[in-house]
Order: sequence, then C-alpha cells, then structure tokens
Amino acid sequence: MRKMVIVSAVLLTGILMVTGAFAQKAATLKIGINAEITGDIPKVGEATKFAAQMYVEDVNKAGGIEVGGKKYLLELAVEDNEAKAESAAKAATKLVTVDEVIAIVGPQASKQAVPAGEVSNNYKTPMITGWSTNPNTTKDRPYVFRACFLDDFQGPALSIFAKDEYKFTKAAVLYDVASDYPKGLAEFFKKDWEKKNGPGSVVAYESFTTKDTDFSSQLTKIINSGAEFLFTPQYYNEVPLIVQQAKQLGWKKPILGSDSWASDELVKLCGKDCLGSYFVSHYASAGAKGATKEFIDRYKAKFGNIPDDVAALTWDAIGLIGQGIKNAGKITGDIKKDREAVRNAIAGIKNFPGITGTITFPPNSGDPVKCANIVKINDKGEFEFYKTACP
Amino acid sequence: MSTSNNTQSLPRRFGRLRRFFQEVPLLGWLLGALTAVLAEQFVGLDLAHLVELPRIPVLFGFENALKKPELIPGTVLYVLLVYLAPALLVARLLQLPSNRLAGFLAGRWPAVSIVLHLALLYAVLHIWSDINDYRMIVVKITLIAVMLTLSLNVINGYMGEFSCSHPGFMALGAYAGSVVTIVLFTNSSMYGKALLPPAIGPYLYPLALIVGGCAAAVGALAVAIPSFRTRGDYLAIISLAFTFIVKSLIENLEIVGGPRGMRGQPDWSNLPTVFVCTVVCVAVINNFVRSTYGLALNAVRDNEMAADAMTINTQRTKMIAFLFAAFWAGVAGVLFAHVLRYVNPGTFGLQQLAEVLAMMYFGGLNSVYGSIVGAVSINLLSEMLRPLEIWKWIFIPLLLILVMIFRPTGLIAFRDFDPVRLIQPKGRPKSNAQS
Repeated sequence: MRKMVIVSAVLLTGILMVTGAFAQKAATLKIGINAEITGDIPKVGEATKFAAQMYVEDVNKAGGIEVGGKKYLLELAVEDNEAKAESAAKAATKLVTVDEVIAIVGPQASKQAVPAGEVSNNYKTPMITGWSTNPNTTKDRPYVFRACFLDDFQGPALSIFAKDEYKFTKAAVLYDVASDYPKGLAEFFKKDWEKKNGPGSVVAYESFTTKDTDFSSQLTKIINSGAEFLFTPQYYNEVPLIVQQAKQLGWKKPILGSDSWASDELVKLCGKDCLGSYFVSHYASAGAKGATKEFIDRYKAKFGNIPDDVAALTWDAIGLIGQGIKNAGKITGDIKKDREAVRNAIAGIKNFPGITGTITFPPNSGDPVKCANIVKINDKGEFEFYKTACP
Repeated sequence: MSTSNNTQSLPRRFGRLRRFFQEVPLLGWLLGALTAVLAEQFVGLDLAHLVELPRIPVLFGFENALKKPELIPGTVLYVLLVYLAPALLVARLLQLPSNRLAGFLAGRWPAVSIVLHLALLYAVLHIWSDINDYRMIVVKITLIAVMLTLSLNVINGYMGEFSCSHPGFMALGAYAGSVVTIVLFTNSSMYGKALLPPAIGPYLYPLALIVGGCAAAVGALAVAIPSFRTRGDYLAIISLAFTFIVKSLIENLEIVGGPRGMRGQPDWSNLPTVFVCTVVCVAVINNFVRSTYGLALNAVRDNEMAADAMTINTQRTKMIAFLFAAFWAGVAGVLFAHVLRYVNPGTFGLQQLAEVLAMMYFGGLNSVYGSIVGAVSINLLSEMLRPLEIWKWIFIPLLLILVMIFRPTGLIAFRDFDPVRLIQPKGRPKSNAQS
C-alpha cells in the first residue's frame, strides 16, 4: 500500500512538471467546422475540412487577419456530425459552448443544417452553411447564412437554359420523391417550365424512392412521352444509374441535372454515358479563370483531387467569415460581443468576390444573391464552365 | 516464479481496493458523486487552469486527450482530483452515516428513500450538466436513448421477437407530439396562430407526450396483429416494412412538411422533464416486466405453444407488449423532437434502428440494467470518441463484436432490477440482507 502511495505521488509531481512546459497563449480566433465526416456522405465532410484547412493555412501564413490594427491567427475546431441531425445539434452546441468559436462553417446537408442552425441562432453565433438549400435553414434566423443559391432558383435557371440553348418545349422529370432536395427542385422546375411553356409542357413527371436502383419502368414512360430532354435533380451516386439505364433503353436526348451532380465520383461511376450532359452548378472546375483557377490548382496540388462544389462553397463560406471578422472593426475578447459584431459584419457584406460568384446578402436575409453557372461534362469527363444563367 | 507472483498480486490488489469500498451503499456513492460535481462547480475552472488546461474538460477529458495529446497529463490529473478523489473519499468517509440513513429509510419508508436517491441523482446530473450546455444536450439525448432501448428490450429481449419497428414508433410519436405542440401553442408559418395561449403550454406538455405515445401505440397495431402468426425472421421483415411505411408516409404528407421536415417545436424538453420521463419510463417498464405480464412475455419467448397450454393468452400478451413498448418509444420520440426542435423523416431510418439495436444488444437482453448500461455507454462512448472521426466507427463496432463473442447476450443480460434492494444499506451481516 505504501509503495503505491509513493509511486503515485511521484507520478503526480511528474505530470505537473510536464504540463507546466506546455503553457502557451497567442491571439487566435477559433472557427468551428461542423461537417459530415462520417456517415452517408463522407466526401462532403472531407471537402469541407480540406477547403477550410487551406483557407486557415493561407491566412496564418500571411500573419493572420487584421482587425482594428491587431493581427489574429485563425484556428479550426473540427467536429464530425456523422450525417445525423441530433449529432449535428450536439456538435454545434459543443463548438459554441466548449470550443467557444467565433463562427461556424457547416453543416452542409440540410438534414443537419436545420437543427444546427437552430442551436447556433439560439446561442447567437454566426453560422454559414456552404451547401444546404432548405429554406428552413436560414429562415427567421438572423445568425444563420448560406453561401449557395436556393433550390427555387435552380429550376428557373435550368428552364431558361433549356429554352435559350435548345428551344425545347417538352420536358421530362425523374426525381426521388422521398428526398427533400430532389423533390423541391423537381417542383420548382415544373412550376417554372409550365409557366413559360404552358400547362402540360412537363410531359412526364416520374418519381422513385431513395435507394431504388431500377428505373426502367419510369424511364420507359419518359421515353414514350415524347419529351425533348430529361431533368433529373439527383445525387451523384444515383445519376449514373439513371443515365446508364436511360441510354440502355435507347434515350439519346439531352439529360440535365442540378448542383447535386457536381462530384468527381459522378464521372468515375458513370463513365462515357454522362459525357455531354449539362447541369446547374455553383462553380465549374474546368475552364475556370482567376481566383477560381488558383483555388483549384492549389487544392489539387495539396489534396490530390479536383475540388468539388462543396469545397468551393466552403471556401467562400469561410471566406465570408474571414471578411466578417475583418469588417467587425474590433475584437474585444468578449466572445458574445465579438460574435455579434461578426454577425453584423457578415450581414452587411456586399459584392464579396467569391469563387462561386459574387455574393451579396440582401437586408434581413441569410440567402445570398448570385448567378448560377451552367456546367457541361466535356469529352474528357471534366466539369467545364459553359455559361451563366441569371433568372 | 516471480511472474506468477505478479499476476496473482494484481487481482489481489484490486480485490483489496474493492473490499475497501464494498460496504459503501448507493446513497454513499451518490453523495460522493454530488461532492465531485460540486467540487467541479466551485473550483473546477481554477483547477483546470492550474493543470494548464484551457477550460474544464467536458466529457472527462476525452476530447483533450484525443485532439491534443500534450494535454493528457493535465487532464488525467484533473479527472483524478475533481472526480475520482472527492467521490471515493466522500463515499468512503460517509460510509457509516449513509449506511445508517439508508437502513433507517429503507426499513420505514422505502418510497422516501427511493425519492431521495432519485433527487440526488438528478442533482448530480443537473450540476454536472450545468457547467456546459454541450453536457446538457448529451445528457438529454442519452436519457432519451435509455427510454428507447428499454422499450425495445420489452419486445426484443423479454418477448424474444426481433422487431425492427422502433424508428417507426419513434417517428409517429415525434410527429404527433410536434403537431400537438405546434398547433396548440406556437405561432408557426405552417399552422398559423396558436390555438391556446402559449403560456400554459409547458403545463400541458405531458399531454403532447401522451398523444405521441398513443399515436405510436396505435401504429403498433399494424405490427402486433401480424405478430400473432409470424415469428423470427418474418416478423423482423414485417416490422422493418412498418418502419419504411411510416417514413414514406411522412415523406408524402405535405401537411407535416414532407421530406423537408418540421421546425419550430417549443423548447420544452428541458432536463427535469426528460429526467422525470425517463424515471417514470424505467419504473413502469420495470414493474411491467416483473409482473405476471412480464413472466407471460418470457413464457411466450421460450415456448409459445407451452405458454398457450399453460393458459397464457399469447395473442393478448403480444398485443400488450407491442403497444406498451411502442407507447414509450413514442414518448421518447416527442422528447427527441423537442430537444432538437426539428424533425424530418430521414432521421427515423435504418441508422436509427441500428443504433437502438446496438445499444440493446450491447447492454443485454431481458434486463433493465442492461438497457440502461447499453444506452448510456454507447452514447457516452460515441460522444467521447467523436474526435476520432472515422476510427470511431471501427472502434465501437469492434467493441460490439467483442461483447458478442464473450457475452453473447450482452453485458448485463437476464438480471433482475430491484430498486428496493438497490437502496439497502451494505455490509450489515447477512441477517438483514437475506430476510
């Protein structure tokens, strides 16, 4: 017994001495990342983390962000939300109350972003989601913003493109009725298309349920309906199945998609069949210029793959936070006051030169005003910028 | 020779340590825990700064240890000084008085004693989670998981059917409860103005909980009736189908928000509410499984035909078990919806099912203890290992596999949970304990 006491006493003193060596303090600001690192969509979380890390490294290499004459280094606090709603709420609470971050980037998918937005807004902590397009995420929440355009904007953008480019009048839609995002998009597109081309101009409006893998009956109906193009607002893992099955059934007309197509994986899974399709996107990796190109090149050199739209939107989201901190005027050290100052600065941002477009926040809204890019999958399987569409 | 000596001395040392504390009653442990959380409340921050930690470690320092290894020594020291030392010391020092008090109360008013224990437990939880809101949400979600796991154990453990319908029950409860609170007490964009003054809402929240539970119970009829004729794999498939039906139903019901989900539930799932619900749930389910109904469930599990021959109405038994379990899953769903203040059908899918099943099988079949242990440990582990990201999903399933290899029915399976025995004083010579 006595031996144990002596041993533990020696250990404790040792521990105390070791911990003493690690005292350090510097003027840093913490930014929280609430990302889907594990779960259904790990690619999204990975891109979020990578883009944010790159931004923070850039800022710190330049000596930090200058606010009110003093430079502050940035530090990331990364939390995994497992692509689960309750976990996202927990992660947001942890970032706000434990890590005491000044602002949060993410979560990216709406299922996580809506509850996390609730938490951030309650604690008056600015949160910017890159990718979430559910109106609920930012609605009536002064502290929550997004960097992307909304679903109701993509439908009109696409119908303008199909009209201008091809002079089409008959459309077909195939969408997942059980998933919030494709369903909303399909509805917005149908509404806008029928407004422009008269009732009944969406000649086939077919649906399926998440995780279905056989679309032949819906596709046969679409082919027989005489539609001139197919719009399918699905995720990158479903699109290849749909496109390949459509081609097998003899569909040769254009297939258009939404921003959810934008992932490297799409072309890998789909192969030749997807080449030549168009989709609405936040940004395009091939044919990019200026700051966008610089971002893509550096991201690729650093992480080995071409950044997808999540990475680009995260870059803009964290860029908006950086701009907000810069515009906040002064960092007082009182985290509550600083968060409010940063929130006000973000809300006042005008013409922020993001790589996914120029971002302006209208008064009393967290939804930015920007244009959509139409992207073509070119012969090399790259996402090439084609034209912009501003409804 | 020396090695064998070493291997023997280690268990012996632990044995000595255990004997040193073995006469501490539950009351003493709770008092010890209370001291520990009080110590943290008052000197936690100073102590954390003293051992060079930037702040109080939230979940016993795991996030520090995994993210910044250089903080490990400080964290270990903190946990030792704030939690372990005061808890063990006070528990041991108060052994005599707490034993006397426990004996005195248990002999005369066992109900008062139970209430005292629960009040202490609540105080510990409250003070501990008061330090940080992250702890608060973890405690709330964990308590809700206890309710879910326990109610699933009634069907899968006590009745021995493999039911996969729990996410469905939970979804029905969550949506029914949310509709009640949003329509009646909230000015929302979905349903317009509140029908009743929001001020009285918190008092009528139990009503929403009961409505949620009943909605789930009604839904459970859809699983209970086919269960008369099917067992095993077939019932599993039917109940799985039920979960998908509920999910699809909600996805297609625009009136509750469809796949977009439903937002704006009032913030009424506070810690006291969740705690009281969990305690009531544990108490009711424990009484249920220890009653003749519970024995009937076991009889149906072991041999349905024999049970029938012994005059057990198996159909009625199954019906009651399903409805009863679904009711509590529904209540848990309502609480869950009001903690997150947002529900969407995607939450109640296969992942949710896998989690509840994992918690139940980890903890142990046919055991109230097991459900509590399983839910708490899986939830806390999952929270503490959060910084590991993808490795967490290797570690936790590995743990499950190990449990299944060494204890195929779970950690604490087939154990009777007797609250009256729990509150007894300890260490009195056998005369008292055996009577």
